[in-house]
Amino acid sequence: MIYLGMIAPALCIYLFIVTYPVFYSIWLSFTDFNPNRGGNWNWIGLYQYKTMFQDPNFWHALKNNLIVVAVSVFGQIPIGFALAYILYRKLVRGANLFQTTVFLPHFLSTIVIGTMWKRLFQADGPISVLIQMISGDPTAQFDLMLYSETVMIPIGFALIWIYTGLYMIIFLANLQKINDNLIEVAKIDGASETQIFFRIIVPMLSGTILVSTVLAIAGSLRGFDLIFSITTQGLQRNNAMVLPIFMYQTAFQNYTNEMRFAYGAAISNAIVLISVILILFSNFISRKLQSGLEE
Amino acid sequence: MVVVLGLIVLLLSLGMVGCRKQEAESAAEGPVVVKAMAYGDNSNQEGVNWVRIVETFEKENPDIDIDYEMLYDEAYHQKVVARLASGDVPDMAYMGADARWGAPWKEAGQQFDHTDLIDPDYYDFDLIPPMGPNGEIYEIPLGTSNITTVLYMNKNLVESLGFTEPQTYEDMVAMVPAAQAAGLEVVTIDGADGWAWGSCLMSAVIARMSGDPHWVSKAVEGENKFTDPEFVKSLDFIRQMVDDGVISEKSVLVDYGANISKFSNEKALFMVQGQWAAGGIENPDVSKNTLMLAWPELPGEKSATRGSVAAAIQVGYGLTKNGASDPAVRDAAMKFINYFYSEPETTQRLRDGAIVAPILKDYNVPDDLPEIVKQKVYLAQNAMNTDVIDAFLSGDPNDALNAGMQKIASGSATAEEIAEEVESLLRK
Repeated sequence: MIYLGMIAPALCIYLFIVTYPVFYSIWLSFTDFNPNRGGNWNWIGLYQYKTMFQDPNFWHALKNNLIVVAVSVFGQIPIGFALAYILYRKLVRGANLFQTTVFLPHFLSTIVIGTMWKRLFQADGPISVLIQMISGDPTAQFDLMLYSETVMIPIGFALIWIYTGLYMIIFLANLQKINDNLIEVAKIDGASETQIFFRIIVPMLSGTILVSTVLAIAGSLRGFDLIFSITTQGLQRNNAMVLPIFMYQTAFQNYTNEMRFAYGAAISNAIVLISVILILFSNFISRKLQSGLEE
Repeated sequence: MVVVLGLIVLLLSLGMVGCRKQEAESAAEGPVVVKAMAYGDNSNQEGVNWVRIVETFEKENPDIDIDYEMLYDEAYHQKVVARLASGDVPDMAYMGADARWGAPWKEAGQQFDHTDLIDPDYYDFDLIPPMGPNGEIYEIPLGTSNITTVLYMNKNLVESLGFTEPQTYEDMVAMVPAAQAAGLEVVTIDGADGWAWGSCLMSAVIARMSGDPHWVSKAVEGENKFTDPEFVKSLDFIRQMVDDGVISEKSVLVDYGANISKFSNEKALFMVQGQWAAGGIENPDVSKNTLMLAWPELPGEKSATRGSVAAAIQVGYGLTKNGASDPAVRDAAMKFINYFYSEPETTQRLRDGAIVAPILKDYNVPDDLPEIVKQKVYLAQNAMNTDVIDAFLSGDPNDALNAGMQKIASGSATAEEIAEEVESLLRK
């Protein structure tokens, strides 16, 4: 009883600010309710979800989101792991400087980073000038942001630049927990650096890899600020639209849709559902790999 | 022990009841609180002026407390939607009456007609446009109509190349070789911002091509179609400007700040932007020698709208229906609004370049205004006003149009394709 009394205040706050909005969002997505208008609402079943699946913008945003997930899982994590391993095995000089440099972007506000990269990509900006110098064409411009097929390439670079340092630190911290004797023993037994890496380090860090993957997937699917700030309103943002931006534009800006909040709720629920599916999938893959290594 | 504990609880409860009673009494006797949503931030003139005005007003009127939340740009729009959805409606707010600035208030049923509260001896009713279907006035505009399609001209730079103020579009085309030889652009536009194409360029072009100042509002109402030849021709004009070299194809990579910076640093002869950008030209030599013009005669334009500019109703402060429902709050808010629009403050806004011209009754424009401000007032007084696209078109159709014009400029879509897309989204 005393225990319940002690956790009650925190539990109430949690239920109010986390659980209630989740259930409200689920309920809202099955209605035509617009809180701005107030008044009556009707239960309309899966209408918002049906609309969402028929909306080409949803599929475009989902495609971009999956690209971001791929960049995170197959870009940031392996690079972060490799950098951490380089530091751990002392394969580079000036390790502290190296570590600080890679981690530094993580100290900056995402909006500042987005604005900075936007400046790099603008007309006659630093990247365009570089292209002009290399190509000898003074009119050449960096225009990948203008096309939906290419817009995620520069954004992918920016994502790797920002977040790789975080994964590097996570991996480094876990690498430092590994008993050095294990590696020494492996060396005495004649294991090569590659064998040490794949047969000792990777299996021992499989839990960390899984946690990092979950973090990367969840972070990628709710990522809004960087892409919003790196693009300009209009063509660039439409090209680079990800699900959170699609949800934001639908719910908060599209006044032509009277059910915009309910539609936005359906999109945000879809984001959560996709995150859960991807995380379960990565969990499954991790377990398979783990059992394969144990055999 | 239990008794002592019970006593302490009882005493504390009584104390709290006493405190609450005292609070309620003091609230009844205390100042009238006006909950406000202000527009600006601590780094811009609007925000700094707001804070200063509120502080001075509250000192002079200790019976009124302006309890404000100040936000700027996108954050402001987000918070308006969030506050209205949650039922936390302010009494007074920075608002507009069009599809962007007025939509959330209209949707929430919070627009309030100020006609009976506006003092006709203080404000000039002829300068306040009707905002509702029956002539309602939903906010008190900071100034007269907000011109969005200004062609800024660097007079010295144009003259240094041997040209004068262009009378026709062909005159601008004639400047292209000389400008390119000098490493200059003819017209700079922040084409990376989708809205700039719609608000600052196409709004003028469609009125000129159609000869109808209200072509856009009629199209939204269904009288015209965005696939009509005059609109397709207007969209085609974007590509023509790029092909003629008047606007650079790389404009689609130039954002708002870079655009003003280019003009301010004499990298372009002309700049396309709204009247509000006049205050952003930081180079005093350029600012002093800048002419604010309507677009010259365009190829194929109709004489009925020659020399016109697109202009939207200026935003300003107004009461919400909630705020107006309490007479004490309503009177306090109106007292503040009148103070906020006082002649010295309005003159300061004019000097800062925040407004085109005041809406105060019998206002005398000071002789010592900066040249660029005089230019703006002259344009406002002389040019015919036409519809601004995003004052009427919003949501997906407007987004498609803005992005579509960027595609036309960069050569990845045709005018017909974009017109078709906008029309189909609008009628969906």
